[in-house]
Amino acid sequence: MNLKSMITGLSRRGFLGSVASFAGVSTLGASLPGRALAADDNVIKIGFLAPLTGAVAAWGKPGLDGCQIWAEWVNKAGGINIDGTAHTVEFVSYDNEYDPAKARTGATKLIREDGVKFIMMLGGDTWPGVMPVAEQTGMLFSTLLPSDLSPDTTTLIAPAEVHPVYNVTGVEWLAENKPELKTAVMCAQDDALGLPSVATYLAAFEAAGIEMLDEPLLFDPATTDFAPVVTRLMSGNPDIICLDTCYSDYVHPICEQLFQQGYKGQIISCTADFYDQMIEKTSKEFMEGFIFQFPDFDDPAMEAEGINFKHANAFYAEYAKRFPGQWGAVSWEYAAVMDLWKAAAETAGSTEPDAVLTAMLDDGKGMHAFGEADWWGKDLFGIDHALVGNWPVVVIEDGKAHVKALKSIPAWYDKHGELLKKYMSDYGQMWNQRT
Amino acid sequence: MILIAVALVVLPHGLSFSQQEILVYLVINILLVVSYRLMTLTGEWSLGHVVIMGVGAYTSALLTKRLGFYVPVSMIMGALMAAFVAFLLSFPLFRMKGFYFLIGSFASAEIIRLLWKRFREPFGGPKGLKRIDGLPNIDIGPIHIDFFEPTAYYYFALIVVLVCLWVLWRIEKSLVGLTFHAVHWQDKLAQASGVDVRRYRTLAFVLASGFAGLSGALLAHYIGTINPNSFDVEVMVFVLTWAIVGGTSTFYGPILGCIVLTILNEIVLRELGFEQMRPLIYGAIMIVSILFMPDGLESLVKRALARWKSAPPPPNQPEEAKP
Repeated sequence: MNLKSMITGLSRRGFLGSVASFAGVSTLGASLPGRALAADDNVIKIGFLAPLTGAVAAWGKPGLDGCQIWAEWVNKAGGINIDGTAHTVEFVSYDNEYDPAKARTGATKLIREDGVKFIMMLGGDTWPGVMPVAEQTGMLFSTLLPSDLSPDTTTLIAPAEVHPVYNVTGVEWLAENKPELKTAVMCAQDDALGLPSVATYLAAFEAAGIEMLDEPLLFDPATTDFAPVVTRLMSGNPDIICLDTCYSDYVHPICEQLFQQGYKGQIISCTADFYDQMIEKTSKEFMEGFIFQFPDFDDPAMEAEGINFKHANAFYAEYAKRFPGQWGAVSWEYAAVMDLWKAAAETAGSTEPDAVLTAMLDDGKGMHAFGEADWWGKDLFGIDHALVGNWPVVVIEDGKAHVKALKSIPAWYDKHGELLKKYMSDYGQMWNQRT
Repeated sequence: MILIAVALVVLPHGLSFSQQEILVYLVINILLVVSYRLMTLTGEWSLGHVVIMGVGAYTSALLTKRLGFYVPVSMIMGALMAAFVAFLLSFPLFRMKGFYFLIGSFASAEIIRLLWKRFREPFGGPKGLKRIDGLPNIDIGPIHIDFFEPTAYYYFALIVVLVCLWVLWRIEKSLVGLTFHAVHWQDKLAQASGVDVRRYRTLAFVLASGFAGLSGALLAHYIGTINPNSFDVEVMVFVLTWAIVGGTSTFYGPILGCIVLTILNEIVLRELGFEQMRPLIYGAIMIVSILFMPDGLESLVKRALARWKSAPPPPNQPEEAKP
């Protein structure tokens, strides 16, 4: 049967009728009462509200994949012990497409229909849509972007990464190890993720005695042609080109352009997700010495004493087996948040959001993935709900990411905190400047 | 009509909480897409309609946040501002036609969007505005209406949108509406008959933009946050898709497109566990629907109505009942 006869053979009315019935039945099924809240008492549901499709999916989907591995391991090891009873954990995801309206819908669904006890988010543009839901329900949320924190919402925590403050560690390490590099330029997408990072890098460069040759080049997030951006960056012949916190959709083409336009200097970036693909598009030599902030967890340094992420090397191996080539900055982060939540819930003997939060913040310290850390942030975020301690500096050597150092963010902040506040303030990123 | 009215009243009570949220957005989007159709009546397709919606959203949000306007008043002001901005844009844009107008509308809309990004004061820059006041709650004796709840806001939005749809319907059926059609299909003839084609195109553009602005204001005061990305070209593509898949030759075509595609994308595909494959499946379904229904979903309704009208009466119908 050829294609034409196949299409002709399929009655239009029949086809459309089937689709309509299918849709109707599915929709009806979705709204049947009792379905959503019918839950096993021994299952703890955790919400995962992040972009799983679209341009920002790279900071959502790998995290969900990591969480599935985490849940399997925890459940296999006996689950979460709440007041002497073992509970299994299950993740319920909702793709918010990085849209605040969809994030609000997702939060409502996860809380009121799925009965989750905790919701993990990427944050950023989506948080303001969820904020009223958090305030009305008292649900505990986590974000990867502490710039979402404010004293207005006391049930939001940033326990995994203190973006972009940890970027100071990369610049500090660079200045210590390559003191001959004295000038820098920077580009970033002009959005909620790019701007606080720009302020942080400016503070870090100034603290390190590195001169900025030009104002940071802010490009529109809709940019697809990076040749002019790169040409302008290279025009002052800088020692260092800083890619700020660009999405991987920008980091890759920018690096390609830098390679094609013959750049030979140092590159520093917050992330280098899927750096193996960047090496394929450029060369191993070009990417040599590239500095960023997110380690591969097969690094021996991730099994060192003081690292709290359990079985990091095995986690990476399992992840790489299931999702080859998809390891990214967030692959471990949501799982690391879950380690903290699990410990707090077991301490509190409860999964209720307020009890878990109290247990988590109890002594002002927490077991961050990279070592013991402090609940901090009043200066920048108006509330001590960001867990801050050490952060790794990662360098690509011979085509592979290696952790070169674990540097202390609080130590840097103690010395240069005023500088960071100044630049954050200049860029309107302090919590009390947000409209 | 009574059945439809009852269904619209009862509808949210048969839905889950998240579906009620989606229902609110659906009602708002229906106003957006129907207002878009009003503009297409004159034959011009714009890529700036969603940004104009944003003008209404930003205006209304800023008036309540900065100047303490009462929310319903600020919503009307948002609609008026969107209409006014469209009026200003009409001067350069209606020097163009067809494809050039399309591109021109996109460029001018991007300028507005980039201004929102560029100026943190008053627009909030890339992060936009948050903590936008919602509709004030109503407390009259034992009656308490909290507009944070999707059901309450749905009824409010439904009333506003139904009134707007009625106005849009009346416009289309009026002499002005007929002239819009004439401008589209016989612009030279209309011009020869003394119709000021440019003026009517401007009128359609301004009216459509006013209603789009109101839909933006409705959205802003429900979610409580807006940012420039909420009104980018990706959202515009959705509006175009609803209009194209639904069809634009009837008033109900875009409404059908909006309802069917929203239910498909936001409820059916999610519930079937295809959450992460939705863009792929959504795209495939669109291609299939365009292949099978080049005149849009409205053509199905037209055919069904035609068949129903031409169907012979049932054989056991009494003779005297026949006309």
